[in-house]
Amino acid sequence: MKTLLYTLLLCLFLIACGTAKRGEPAYAPVNVSEPAVAQGQVVFNTYCTKCHPGGEAGLAPSFNDKPLPGFLIRFQIRHGLGVMPAFKEQVISDDELDNLIAYIKTLKKAKDDKAAPAS
Amino acid sequence: MQLFLRLSLIFLLFVSVAGCYRMRSSNGGAEGTNLTANRLLNASDIDLPAGYKAEVIASELTFPTDVAFDDAGQVYVIEAGYSYGEEFLEPKLMRVAPGGSKTIVATGELNGPWTGITHHNGNFYVAEGGQKTGGKILKITPDGTITALVENLPSMGDHHTNGPAVGPDGKLYFGIGTATNSGVVGPDNYNMGWLKRNPNFHDIPCQDITITGQNFTSTHPETKQPMTTGAYQRYGTAVKDGQVVPGAIPCSGAVLRMGADGGTMELVAWGFRNPFGLAFAPNGSLYVTDNGYDERGSRSVWGVGDYLWQVQQGQWYGWPDFSGGLAFNGDRFRTPSKEAPKPILAQHPAKPPHPAATLGVHSSSNGLDFSTSASFGHTGEAFVAQFGDMAPNVGKVMAPVGFKVVRVNVENGVITDFAVNKGTKNAPASMLKKGGLERPVAVKFSPDGTALYIVDFGVMHVEDSKTTPQKNTGVIWKVTRTTR
Repeated sequence: MKTLLYTLLLCLFLIACGTAKRGEPAYAPVNVSEPAVAQGQVVFNTYCTKCHPGGEAGLAPSFNDKPLPGFLIRFQIRHGLGVMPAFKEQVISDDELDNLIAYIKTLKKAKDDKAAPAS
Repeated sequence: MQLFLRLSLIFLLFVSVAGCYRMRSSNGGAEGTNLTANRLLNASDIDLPAGYKAEVIASELTFPTDVAFDDAGQVYVIEAGYSYGEEFLEPKLMRVAPGGSKTIVATGELNGPWTGITHHNGNFYVAEGGQKTGGKILKITPDGTITALVENLPSMGDHHTNGPAVGPDGKLYFGIGTATNSGVVGPDNYNMGWLKRNPNFHDIPCQDITITGQNFTSTHPETKQPMTTGAYQRYGTAVKDGQVVPGAIPCSGAVLRMGADGGTMELVAWGFRNPFGLAFAPNGSLYVTDNGYDERGSRSVWGVGDYLWQVQQGQWYGWPDFSGGLAFNGDRFRTPSKEAPKPILAQHPAKPPHPAATLGVHSSSNGLDFSTSASFGHTGEAFVAQFGDMAPNVGKVMAPVGFKVVRVNVENGVITDFAVNKGTKNAPASMLKKGGLERPVAVKFSPDGTALYIVDFGVMHVEDSKTTPQKNTGVIWKVTRTTR
């Protein structure tokens, strides 16, 4: 019973786990120096950003503020969920998906501290 | 039991993270805007990359849509003279003096919106939307004399005559938006206002097309009679399978060109929905922004982004049967609880290319320009003004989309915010109760490339299908680089 209670509390926490992180320039630039992350950024902009602009909410919910593990992100992309369509291997290859997950993880880790303000 | 709890945890996590689109109400930027007589203005409420600053150049404009610069670098602005919400005013070309005072140079007819302006060889060229009598390309001399280079363009519907931009060949390039959302006239066009004025108006293809014979039945908003309507037809006219619809120039959803003094119009490309922003990249390639389908009307389309296209001569870009190069051949673009859109054309003129960039659904990505100066930075990238969503009229969104300026790497389609309101969420300034950006509709670099001018249309509210634009809330912002 206690475990179930913790589970529900955790779910509630996750549902309300804060405001989506803003994109650049509101926060520090996303580090795309790693080739896989840079390639994932292109995949993200091709397929994801129209509904989740920069990972924020738009047509669809935000995801850059939620601690979803990589394997669940991968599962949701491959199988879809609710109104979100599935992106099969013919659309996003396995390699592209690996890169996309790397980029999404980097995006989620983008520092909340802002770059030096414009003078 | 432990395994069950673990699986439950994963399942609940998954569901909670995914959210439920169907259960949530719309939360667009126009639904929360705060209509006020005195718009707050505070450049420090705008977030810019480090080393850039914003300032107000002019304010209290009514529906401004673009700026231009004469040979001396003097700033000019146009007021549209028409806005969704059926506000008809006189369009105006005004000179903006340092300090923000405005002098009227020319006044147009009640046939707006004036959607864009460029300066070329000592004269101004303006795209007149044509909501009442059809679109025009106007030439305006410095003393304010207006001459129509072309008129009666088919843009009295949902979308207008846009542009113009001067190409490397010295010709004027301009866009004509479609009459409808996705090819079929219906009650949504009545709500827009134009169908009552022009009951015979409909989309026109740029070449002969053969259609599949789909018909759509809707209820006439006034007579309450059922109306059966096919694609590319006036409201209430049905079609048959295999019917040929004759093409014509000018046409809907196209980019055309003509000489700087008028003359014969030539088709550049077609199959756009609303090619709003036109700009030539430093390498001479033409790019256009294209507003994607809405979730409205007899043939509703869901989940469609706005697109940035690199325009190829003679190419067909997919409207009304493709979005971003993807065909309507399944449920991907189906509006929840409605039927999925099926192809209207029996044969497609071509396979559309992939877009240069895919921008946010309902972001209304409009004016664009390219950075050409290393002193401003981001040379060769496209800057795009995102007017922001008009939800719920265009469809449901879970958060405001747009209301900012983004830059696009046209080589790989990566989009990065450039000017966006500060705060914990993205929204127009009036919704945030701050003094930043409201609805950026155009961006244009100064002739020397060192300053980016952002034309901010002002406050627009949407509630219960009614659009209310607010006069005297338009602003011109100027962004410059202060440090490197």
